[in-house]
Amino acid sequence: MDTKWNSMDKDPGEALERFVAEEVREAVEAGKTVKVLRPGGRVMAFAAFLAFFLGVTLTLSSLGTAANRVAWERDPVPRFAEDWQETERFRSEVSSYLRDFLTIGAGGRPDFYCYDYWLEAEEGSELGCVLQEDTVHAVEEAGDRWWTFETIDKGTSGTAYVTGPEVRVDLGSASSSSASVVPAPEKERDPDEAFQNDKNVLYFIETADRKTYSNAEGGRSFFQEAERLSGAGTVDFSTGVQGQKDGCNFFLTFQNGRVSIVKDGVSLDVYGNGFYDRDSLWFVPGYDNFPVSEDLEGVTVHMAVRQDPIRYYGVDYRTGNSYSSGSMYSIAQQVEETRSFYRTQAALFAAGLACLFVWFCLRKHRLMADRKIAAWTCRVWTEARFLLVLACLWWAFLPGIANLDFVYELLYGYGYGWDGGYSFTAWGMAVLRLVLSNVPGLLALIWLVWLIRNDHRHNPREARRSLLRPFFRALRARDLKRPVEKRLSRRVALFVLLAVLLAAEMLSILINMTLIGYPSWLLWTVYLLPVLLLAWAAAALARRELGLAKDLGRLADQVEAVRAGDLSKPLILPEDADLRQTAERLNDIQAGMKAALAEQTRSERMKVELVSNVSHDLKTPLTSILSYAELLRQEENLPPAAADYARIIDEKAQRLKSMVQDVFEVSRAAADQLPVQPERLDLGKLLRQTLADMDGPIQRSALAFKIDLPEEPVMITADGKRLYRVFQNLIDNALRYALEGSRIYLALKIGEGRAAASVRNTSRTELPEGVDFTARFVRGDASRTDGGSGLGLSIAKSFTEACGGDFRVETMADLFTATVTFPLS
Amino acid sequence: MNECILVVDDDPEIVRAIAITLEREGYQVRRAYDGMEALDQALDPAVKLILIDVMMPRLDGLSALLRIREKRNLPVIVLSAKSEDTDKILGLSMGADDYVTKPYNPQELAARVKSQLRRYTLLGDVHAGEKQGLLINGRLSYDPAGRVLRADGDEVKLTPTETKIFELLMKHPGQIFPAEEIYRRIWNEDAYSCENTVMVHIRRIREKIELNPKEPDYIKVVWGIGYKMEQHG
Repeated sequence: MDTKWNSMDKDPGEALERFVAEEVREAVEAGKTVKVLRPGGRVMAFAAFLAFFLGVTLTLSSLGTAANRVAWERDPVPRFAEDWQETERFRSEVSSYLRDFLTIGAGGRPDFYCYDYWLEAEEGSELGCVLQEDTVHAVEEAGDRWWTFETIDKGTSGTAYVTGPEVRVDLGSASSSSASVVPAPEKERDPDEAFQNDKNVLYFIETADRKTYSNAEGGRSFFQEAERLSGAGTVDFSTGVQGQKDGCNFFLTFQNGRVSIVKDGVSLDVYGNGFYDRDSLWFVPGYDNFPVSEDLEGVTVHMAVRQDPIRYYGVDYRTGNSYSSGSMYSIAQQVEETRSFYRTQAALFAAGLACLFVWFCLRKHRLMADRKIAAWTCRVWTEARFLLVLACLWWAFLPGIANLDFVYELLYGYGYGWDGGYSFTAWGMAVLRLVLSNVPGLLALIWLVWLIRNDHRHNPREARRSLLRPFFRALRARDLKRPVEKRLSRRVALFVLLAVLLAAEMLSILINMTLIGYPSWLLWTVYLLPVLLLAWAAAALARRELGLAKDLGRLADQVEAVRAGDLSKPLILPEDADLRQTAERLNDIQAGMKAALAEQTRSERMKVELVSNVSHDLKTPLTSILSYAELLRQEENLPPAAADYARIIDEKAQRLKSMVQDVFEVSRAAADQLPVQPERLDLGKLLRQTLADMDGPIQRSALAFKIDLPEEPVMITADGKRLYRVFQNLIDNALRYALEGSRIYLALKIGEGRAAASVRNTSRTELPEGVDFTARFVRGDASRTDGGSGLGLSIAKSFTEACGGDFRVETMADLFTATVTFPLS
Repeated sequence: MNECILVVDDDPEIVRAIAITLEREGYQVRRAYDGMEALDQALDPAVKLILIDVMMPRLDGLSALLRIREKRNLPVIVLSAKSEDTDKILGLSMGADDYVTKPYNPQELAARVKSQLRRYTLLGDVHAGEKQGLLINGRLSYDPAGRVLRADGDEVKLTPTETKIFELLMKHPGQIFPAEEIYRRIWNEDAYSCENTVMVHIRRIREKIELNPKEPDYIKVVWGIGYKMEQHG
């Protein structure tokens, strides 16, 4: 019983998967191609791919967008604050409000301030810049977020970067959009006129001469009430809201030359160690090195800021100036926006990670989706892919590169750095800004690259489509095929191009002259004729030359074909071709070769047939001769002389018999028609067997055999019977021609993967120089009176070679050596 | 011994020479000069054996052989000038009992004729022999119990060593024995340069059992490997 299906502790899905895998393996082993449809395979594949796509897209895009924002804000620490009142900007805004209120309190009138906290100034800590009315030259909108200004008196220009449209150029006295500020009569206006409509900042100012200004309902009592509600350290629980009055949670009081701040019912430390420096939070009078001036003696200022600034609009009809939410609202908005931006990106990143996790769990299923996509993308031409990648690159990086400032920053790494001058961090941020200038474009590029990679992974190279490839391939193949033709064509093309250019030049001169009113009919006839002639000549020449080039190419092809042995097809060129005669000569050569080859083949075949027939035809009479010679020898009443003749006839007939057999075999071997049956055998054993087989003749001879054979087997692949004939012939040869009483050396050596068997003897007669002893009917002694057929060595050589070995004969003085070599197997 | 033998060859002189040889051995000889004549005469039940050439006019020897085989079962020896192994195999597979190449040795031919006739007439005894556990291979029959070897029914005398070698080969027809193994088995000694010794004995056995010891039909050398007993029908 298979517990795999029944046990509860095991994952049934896993078991199913294993089962399916087994099925697939079996099918694959059986050589079948099966399409396994797992339950929900498609859905899983789609889900896996979707998770992968979303995961990568979300994580990368959130990371990229956030990094882009960081890079743009030029601050290594993201401006991320939970409470907008805890920001540097809020504090400086409060400081400047207080400055204005103190100015009013001291009996003065606040100037127009530009609350441009983003303005880049020489001093990083100086967050505001005062624009004198007469220096304001122009404020113009250059886009949603781009404002430029120019100060004429300094002769410098710069660009202000703002994250919102609220650049406050004026505080109510001047037309907000007009560059020319019209000062209003001062006595008709209260000094706090600009602040009276502020709904986010409430104040109460009491001057030294007891004049009061306030925009809060109830004036002094509002702040007294507030103080009572949220007085330093005390919390009024009855209101339900801690330390608040009318939505205000931030209270600043300037009294007796000291500034005290209460926020959410908690008193804040304003002065720190009492010295104002860059690290000090509040730029308010009262420090040791920023003392309260005498003008502020007796001045009291209360101010309150709403926790959640509200948005409002209005127009002051006494002056005709419009006003709106004010800087506090914009600060809060901006902090809120930044906060929500980073939160959104973080959420997206988390979602992306979750998707990636899902993909990781389903990653095995994605392959199917990848294949599907690859099957679809393989239809897209390579050129289209190239253009798409180019477009994506363009889209992603062009905005960055097109802005020269970016490149400038990248090259020199300064200009907009936080510290000014060269800074590695600034350079890195500049690179980030350039790279991340278009995050969607970048993502598109990444996915495009992924698609192409996926395509390359799943589709074979041949499957890719290209518009230009066949063209290039044809060109290349053609180029390789007929180099001569190609070169000639190029030369002609160059010439024709020159002719066309010349003709065009002449024509344009003619036309020009006609246009400027030159008397021209004569000119035309004189010049047009040569132009036409030139064109005609060029065309005719080109045609002719191109034809020649083509013929030349065909001729070259034909020569190549003949060289390669193709003698069947003659080259037929047109009647009028320049190379017609040459082609015919070539055809003659081809025909001659063909005839010679046919003749050679025929004669070879005839030779073999002839030898075969002759040997058969010889055997029949030989049979009779041998039979009757035998009968004759058996006759008892023959005279002794006749008996001797009969013996001689029998002896010679026997020799004739063996010669016929040898001739037959050697001719078959020469025609490569000797049947061989190769098998693995021990060459040493074969030699021993041969020696044992020929023991009789060896013993009878007056020759000593010196035998040197290795004990271990020497395995080669050869036809044993044929090889036996080889060594039989060699030993026979040695017995027959060796000097009486001399020694015959038979040795078998192994080296370099080959086995070499050699038979060495001293010849009885002088060995002639320069004779190939393996040629047919050759003997050391040319008089041919001995018993040999003259075919022994020839047969040995042909048989050795038919078996795949080498046969070599060497002579040195009277020393005769025959060596048979075979590769070991 | 007056068995009638049919000799067929298109060369009358060869027929005559064979006839003389066979008649001297005591056989009756009938003559035919082509395949058709051979067919006519072969049907005579008096004919006990046929010697037939392959290449003949009108009807070649092998075709004639096939036709004769349809009618009669008698020993046929093919005579041919074709000496290739393939020719021999073809002839034997067409139903020939023996294949002799031209030019033949008249004595050997006579011996082969005799051998075929003996086997043919002794066929009944051969079958009887099987029951007694005789080893039969072609014209040889060996009784392992009595260590008696008969060739064509005639007892062949072998020395004890020869008998051992013969028995080893006879019991394993077709199997190749290297000389060393034969030596070890027969002499019970480690073999050292034993090739000559083994070969000498094998040569002697051949001289006793083979019709032509120079071209043995039974004990053959497998060159470079060893020795074996050829299996015959």
